[in-house]
Amino acid sequence: MAEQLIDGRVIEACQQGDRDAFQLLFETYKDKVFSIAVYSSDGDRALADDITQQIFLKLFTAIRQFRGDSEFTTWLYRLVVNACLDERRRRRRLLPWGEMVAMKKPGERKPQEKQYARLEVTEAVQAAIGELKPKFRLPILLKYIEGLSYDEIASVMGCSKGTVASRLNRGHSQLAKRLSHLNNPEVWGD
Amino acid sequence: MFLRHVTKDISAYCHGELSSEESKQFAEHLIACAKCRTKFEEVKLGIKLAEQLPRLSAPDHLWSELEPLLATQSTSVARPSVPWMWQSKVAAAAVLLLVASAGVFWIYRSSRVPPKPSWFVKRLDGAPRIGSEQISNNGRLAVGEWLETDGSSRAQIDVATIGNVDIEENSRVRLLQSRADEHRLELVRGKMSARIWAPPRLFFVDTPSAVAADYGCAYTLEVKDDGGSLLHVTSGWVAMESKDLESLVPAGASCETRPGVGPGTAYFDDALPSFREALKKVDFERDAAVRSAALTTVLDHARPRDTLTLWHLFRRSEGTTDRERLYDKLTGFVTPPPGVTREGMLRFDEKMMSQWVELLEPMWTGNGGGKMVPKKVADAYFKVRNGLSRRLKEMAPK
Repeated sequence: MAEQLIDGRVIEACQQGDRDAFQLLFETYKDKVFSIAVYSSDGDRALADDITQQIFLKLFTAIRQFRGDSEFTTWLYRLVVNACLDERRRRRRLLPWGEMVAMKKPGERKPQEKQYARLEVTEAVQAAIGELKPKFRLPILLKYIEGLSYDEIASVMGCSKGTVASRLNRGHSQLAKRLSHLNNPEVWGD
Repeated sequence: MFLRHVTKDISAYCHGELSSEESKQFAEHLIACAKCRTKFEEVKLGIKLAEQLPRLSAPDHLWSELEPLLATQSTSVARPSVPWMWQSKVAAAAVLLLVASAGVFWIYRSSRVPPKPSWFVKRLDGAPRIGSEQISNNGRLAVGEWLETDGSSRAQIDVATIGNVDIEENSRVRLLQSRADEHRLELVRGKMSARIWAPPRLFFVDTPSAVAADYGCAYTLEVKDDGGSLLHVTSGWVAMESKDLESLVPAGASCETRPGVGPGTAYFDDALPSFREALKKVDFERDAAVRSAALTTVLDHARPRDTLTLWHLFRRSEGTTDRERLYDKLTGFVTPPPGVTREGMLRFDEKMMSQWVELLEPMWTGNGGGKMVPKKVADAYFKVRNGLSRRLKEMAPK
């Protein structure tokens, strides 16, 4: 795991303001943070760029407050989740509702027959993920993008393991309902 | 135990977050509860979809844009203490080394295949091999690896946490898939005995001529040298499937398959020998006249319980004459329920087919030691298959 390169000494160096150590931290986590940002911003990559930068900028100063009470990754993902939720709240205030909805469904303009191609499945899933409420979407991202266990997700989200299980369950159900047309052996090559 | 529905535990079960005892109770409940099974299929699809989410790569320009912003923040960051200062050159060099290592690691990781899932294997007799390695007592069979037994060796494989499979002598088997929503083996030669306590359609075995799909059951499957296979079910149900054909096989019944043909028709092991011989001709004989004559023998020697076979033949029948003969024989054993008409059945009306099979099914499981709710399993099965057939027809080139 790349995370193994980030040990106490690197974090301590970051806390001391060491730029090279921070670059190592950035290189280690940038893809994961960026992925969550993209999926949390309805696929808007320019916005995800901004969110990712904001997160690392905040991390640069906030890392001094990290005391090692929890795993660093848990602490980092908590920062990421909060930043994504904050950004969503901000956009909700700025954007009219209709615009938000229009942004969420890029796949709908595609021809129906293309829905059966595997690539389209990925696109359809990305669009459907964007339509989930954050409380259902974030556990899914932490599970499938970050590969966290239920206990780790619970720690990041500040809820119980049972709540994580329940939210994942509902998230999966909603994905399945929205994309039921993809439940087809031709799509999956079964 | 069975009163408590398990829908809220489905994701946790699929992600291996339940204990083995909880998993077992979950699976047992699911086999018996149609409501939870329906929800399970839905969540399983959701998981399959979520697994398609790719991790994205951050654009290269991010750091170059971030660096100047960090500089503006640096003034508010605590300056290094004296001990850090005297170590700073060494530390900076070390960190730079770490950055370089990260780069190398990054390149390495991009070409590295993630660890493959594997199943526990226990030696039962002799010296089974995984790949070219002989296993002493225990071993691990990873996705893509072959397990082989010779004339004096046997092994047992744990199918993740959902059951186990005994691999008999002179067998060759490969692990193809081990995911939350699909566990799949390939048996190319020899014999295996499976005991699975998973929900329907989670465990599959590919053979050269068909795929055995588990519906919560125990069975043996033997693949012969010519690629044909013989399935015998001892508990629950198994579906033998190929691209165009399928046979649903309950406990006490068997099904043969042939390369290039697929699964033959399911039959009960206690059917008359003459019935079974004739059925083989109906299933695999190329000459239409021979098949027609054999069908006459099948119809003449069928018992009420053999409606299992007649029903499958009816569903597969293409010519009107054969379909009528089979329908008439079936109605001789069980009077069709109200609303089911001859005309509707002969054109495979889906609703009528479903009503009809509900009446027939108890005959197939009454003496076979089947699972608790095979009718519902069968309903689900036929529903899925009918839907799939319709979908394939719609998608077929005109």
